[in-house]
Amino acid sequence: MVILREGICPGVNEEFIKALQSEDIKTVEDFVSCNPEELAQKCSLSYKALVAVRRVLLAQYTAFPVSGADLYEELLSSTAILSTGNPSLDKLLDSGLYTGEITELAGSPGSGKTQVCFSVAVNISHQLKQTVFYIDTKGGMCANRLLQMLQSKTPNMEEQMEALQKIKVLRVFDVFSLLACLQNLRSNGLQKASVGGGSVKALMVDSVSAVLSSMLGGKQNEGMSLLMQVAGELKMIAKDFNIAVLVTNHVTKDGNGHLKAGLGQSWSHGPRTRVLLQRIEGAGTSSLRTATLTKSSRQITGFEERNDLIMDK
Amino acid sequence: MHRTVPSLPLAPSVKVKLINAGFQVASDLIDMRPLQLCKEVGISQQEAVEVLQMLRDDGQPHQQRAATESLTALDLLHQEQALGSIVTFCSALDDALGGGLPVGKTTEICGAPGVGKTQLCMQLAVDVQIPVCFGGLGGKALYIDTEGSFLVQRVADMAEAAVQHCTLLAEDTEKKIQALEELTVEKILSNIFLVRCHDYVELLAEVYLLPDFLSEHPEVRLVVIDSIAFPFRHDFEDLSQRTRLLNGLAQQLIQLATQHSVAVVLTNQMTTRVSNGQSKLVPALGESWGHAATQRLILHWEGLRRLASLYKSPSQMEATIQYQITVQGFRDAPDEPRPTPATSAVSSPSGNHSKHPRMEDRS
Repeated sequence: MVILREGICPGVNEEFIKALQSEDIKTVEDFVSCNPEELAQKCSLSYKALVAVRRVLLAQYTAFPVSGADLYEELLSSTAILSTGNPSLDKLLDSGLYTGEITELAGSPGSGKTQVCFSVAVNISHQLKQTVFYIDTKGGMCANRLLQMLQSKTPNMEEQMEALQKIKVLRVFDVFSLLACLQNLRSNGLQKASVGGGSVKALMVDSVSAVLSSMLGGKQNEGMSLLMQVAGELKMIAKDFNIAVLVTNHVTKDGNGHLKAGLGQSWSHGPRTRVLLQRIEGAGTSSLRTATLTKSSRQITGFEERNDLIMDK
Repeated sequence: MHRTVPSLPLAPSVKVKLINAGFQVASDLIDMRPLQLCKEVGISQQEAVEVLQMLRDDGQPHQQRAATESLTALDLLHQEQALGSIVTFCSALDDALGGGLPVGKTTEICGAPGVGKTQLCMQLAVDVQIPVCFGGLGGKALYIDTEGSFLVQRVADMAEAAVQHCTLLAEDTEKKIQALEELTVEKILSNIFLVRCHDYVELLAEVYLLPDFLSEHPEVRLVVIDSIAFPFRHDFEDLSQRTRLLNGLAQQLIQLATQHSVAVVLTNQMTTRVSNGQSKLVPALGESWGHAATQRLILHWEGLRRLASLYKSPSQMEATIQYQITVQGFRDAPDEPRPTPATSAVSSPSGNHSKHPRMEDRS
């Protein structure tokens, strides 16, 4: 609902608005849904002026249908697949992270979610030479570890520094700052970053559940709204800027004692692909993990891969 | 401004009224006067003033910068190297942690009773004060005690041992000798701020007051909460509320750690989990609390040996090392022949060793 304001289009000035307000018409929606003839009779505005304004407003605010074929063409030309740097994880994700989509990693503490995010960031900044935005909500971002991973990929210091400069870190610790950050990225942050050379191809949020889980449940009525807003912002960023979004989530136990990703049913519609990471029982302090595909629009779920997540390789 | 109204940190009832009146974006609101807003939206004068105040604060340059300024990983690397870490005087543990407890992150120490969590915390409160020229941070410490297990006499013993250790290290450099003169047991004790919280409400209130405290005392480099489990494990009927409170607390603590460059250390207790007919000792406070701290260290017994396992860390590999508690404090275990596999196969979580730190293992 957009409020009618002077200057919203030529012909709408203060008197116009006052006259409309006396008829209880405050928003664009109210205005276009009433009959201009009747309106002209009720207030002292000319029919011609009303019709002209109506036409301009309709042109500005309507959504126009697009044909499926055009959409498909656009999809083919703009989607890119980013490799995660780990071949078995790529296999699980049907060759990698797709731009324009949200991919989610869920797992218990210590299962390796942050490490996978690091290795994806390092791969994209070093191999693909693109910029990555990393939103850290838990303090897990450790530049030393990124350097360690880069050092195992290339001994050249210049390349390492260049790759580190392509990873941009934002630290926010509550959901309102996260929303401010995402909205800012959407309006001008991402464009500014791509102007500096190297387009932004990936955005990571580690983790989404840390900021949202304290707002859900109990007598709080805002939690779900904030959750859907975060999901909406991430989707818009992914779609509008052709970016691959990777988020991490915690896990909870369902009725049968099996692990499932947190944040509930409403959040589960946000990510297109979901992977569950687990430690291997009884293996002590080994670095092996299993990754299971729990939701995918392209592959059969239940697919499991064993991974060595210490990415010195 | 490009903030949408639903994403603003305002009371839900006020937001609903704003949206119903047709305001979608923050920029719609910014030019309004309180009285105007009051009439159009139907909220009280007080609420209208609060809304506009919040928008004005949001538009302030330093707030905007916090949300929009991004550091590159390279800048972050330089920052991390400048921050340093707090040594524990147990070299095996320091190696496993990559130099010591990292400043700017939260570390959780879990363990059964008597294994040495409070000893480690007291050791850290002393170690953070070691002067910069000896490889320490030269900072102060804030110790929030919820269990009442802070013993000043023990800290004095540890402080004395630390001073002696530094004396041995000092070569004839001017700076070091000067620093050594200032490093006395009294000085060390006076640089530890002690707070005693009796229940979870006091603990939450204290954490709310911490940002102001840390701004007034910028030399504080360590905040210890010993223990965070104790106030939350008694008298809590609504477990989901407990989870929410703990998650909110964790976020506040990591925000403090990052913004004020302090190391936050939390101690946790252990609880028994029964699954498939077997019982296992796991850290208390639930599954979701495991995500709260950045690093997790689990202290446990294996026969008569005390072991520390790094269970979760963003930058270090998992490792298990042995340590001991001596008169001087938290130290490395002496080298001893490795036990045969048969005896060490099963760790005994129920090894009921009594809590007499000063009488065990005299080195």
